[in-house]
Amino acid sequence: MNTTIQIQGVSKSFETDEGPLVAFGPADLDIKQGEFVSLLGPSGCGKSTLLMMLAGLEEPSSGKIFLNQTPVQSPRNDIGVMFQESTLVPWRTVLGNIELQLELRGKRPENFREQIDSLLNSVSMKGMEKRMPHELSGGMQQRAALCQALIHQPQTLLLDEPLGKLDAMTRENIRGDLQRLWLDKKPTVVMVTHSIEEAVQMSTRVYLISPRPGKIDKVVDIEMDYPRNLAVKQNPRFIQYLADIHSVFHGYGVL
Amino acid sequence: MKGKVLKRLVRWISESWMMFAFFACFFLLWEWSIDWFEVPQYILNKPSEIITNSAADLPRLMQYTYITGLETVLGFVVAICLAIPIGVAITFSNILRRTLYPFLVSVEMVPKIAFAPLFISWLGFGLLPKVIIVFLVCFFPIVLNAILAFGSLSQELDRFSQITGASQIKIFLKIRIPSALPQCFVGIKYAAINATVGAAIAEFIGSDQGLGFYIQIVTGNMRPDLAFAGIFLLTLLGLGLFGIVTFVERLMIPWHISQRRG
Ligand SMILES: Nc1ncnc2c1ncn2[C@@H]1O[C@H](COP(=O)(O)OP(=O)(O)O)[C@@H](O)[C@H]1O
Ligand SMILES: [Mg+2]
Repeated sequence: MNTTIQIQGVSKSFETDEGPLVAFGPADLDIKQGEFVSLLGPSGCGKSTLLMMLAGLEEPSSGKIFLNQTPVQSPRNDIGVMFQESTLVPWRTVLGNIELQLELRGKRPENFREQIDSLLNSVSMKGMEKRMPHELSGGMQQRAALCQALIHQPQTLLLDEPLGKLDAMTRENIRGDLQRLWLDKKPTVVMVTHSIEEAVQMSTRVYLISPRPGKIDKVVDIEMDYPRNLAVKQNPRFIQYLADIHSVFHGYGVL
Repeated sequence: MKGKVLKRLVRWISESWMMFAFFACFFLLWEWSIDWFEVPQYILNKPSEIITNSAADLPRLMQYTYITGLETVLGFVVAICLAIPIGVAITFSNILRRTLYPFLVSVEMVPKIAFAPLFISWLGFGLLPKVIIVFLVCFFPIVLNAILAFGSLSQELDRFSQITGASQIKIFLKIRIPSALPQCFVGIKYAAINATVGAAIAEFIGSDQGLGFYIQIVTGNMRPDLAFAGIFLLTLLGLGLFGIVTFVERLMIPWHISQRRG
């Protein structure tokens, strides 16, 4: 399989009042096309920073990033990004927000009717098109944001805690939706999360990031069949993966 | 439909009757205490006398309300038309942000009303100096809020726009303007409240017509009843302007209003 994302010796430090602060790295990693990769680590370890560097929205302080064989030097529009904070605009409906992504990319929303419909269907949001964001529950907002991030059908998807800020039941639900969407189109997904369970349930591979400054020192390949629904959580292998990852973070002193 | 309106009316009354009762008590107390304390006519009148006496002078009051209203609206509208584009320009130009912006912030410290006598001496008793003074009073809150509004796009929306590869103009029209509108209206509403103050003070200083002029003249003639009529109409003018702005806000950013209620 082709390598979609290549990270070579990438680190990022920010200038602060107390001098430079290393937010991430240095780290190397290769992500293959069609993989579902999770970046797992405690908050503040630089997960978002890494994702923003992948998107070309933050410049690495050192190292190089390649995406689809071309170096990342400026914001990349050949990907889909779901940001940690909501990018639903309050002045547009759910449908309007999804169309905003297309309009900004110079595409005609009329040509995407079917895709919008099937996307809304796949996250159980049918009939919610006309709602304004503030009329939606947190879970529905997250679903709408997911549709907004996916509608232009990017082959590479960067998701920053797409299921953060949700209650356990809603999380479970949207995890299923997200997994179905991935299995359907097989884009390359890089998902940031701080939930061990979520990472193991969703991913083909989990990168464990150590606390500040974040470094990738462990990679866990999750070898279990898809789809992985609720039942997978009783699987002894699943439980073993959880225990292994747990002990790594325990070793860092964050658990 | 009709039932809904009635229900809202009933709720409104049940929520605000105390306020109306308080207002009623205030005016009744005023009415009675004039007799009770034997307040002379040239100091203060009863509310009922204010109404009947000012009715006799209605044509003049109406004409002056029109004049003061014209000064207020002209100054206010010109302020909006200049302040918003200047605010946008300052937000997006590094040079203007380092030159014009600090200049405006310093001028903001100056009480604008203090310029009124100068403008009257330069430009005479006509409409123009009043419009300029209203403009000065309105311009600063609008421009400073516009700078705040256009400069505070959330990082997520900024990044979201960048990643789409859209042109700056498209991002401006589809993202920046709608996000900035609520904060712009904060400034415009503040200006609307202060616009009539500017007009009235300008008329106090040098004028031969308008409500400010009227209040000053009748006070000199020991007619507090007519002064109160002028003050009342001035208040009405301010409320009217504020009401129109609120109405336009509702039309332009209904999503913001409904969010605020929820
Ligand atoms: N623009 C910035 N300036 C200074 N420090 C920053 C900036 N962005 C992030 N950081 C710091 O970098 C570290 C990593 O942040 P982040 O990538 O958001 O972590 P995570 O997403 O893993 O919670 C944090 O300590 C954060 O305070
Ligand atoms: Mg983060």
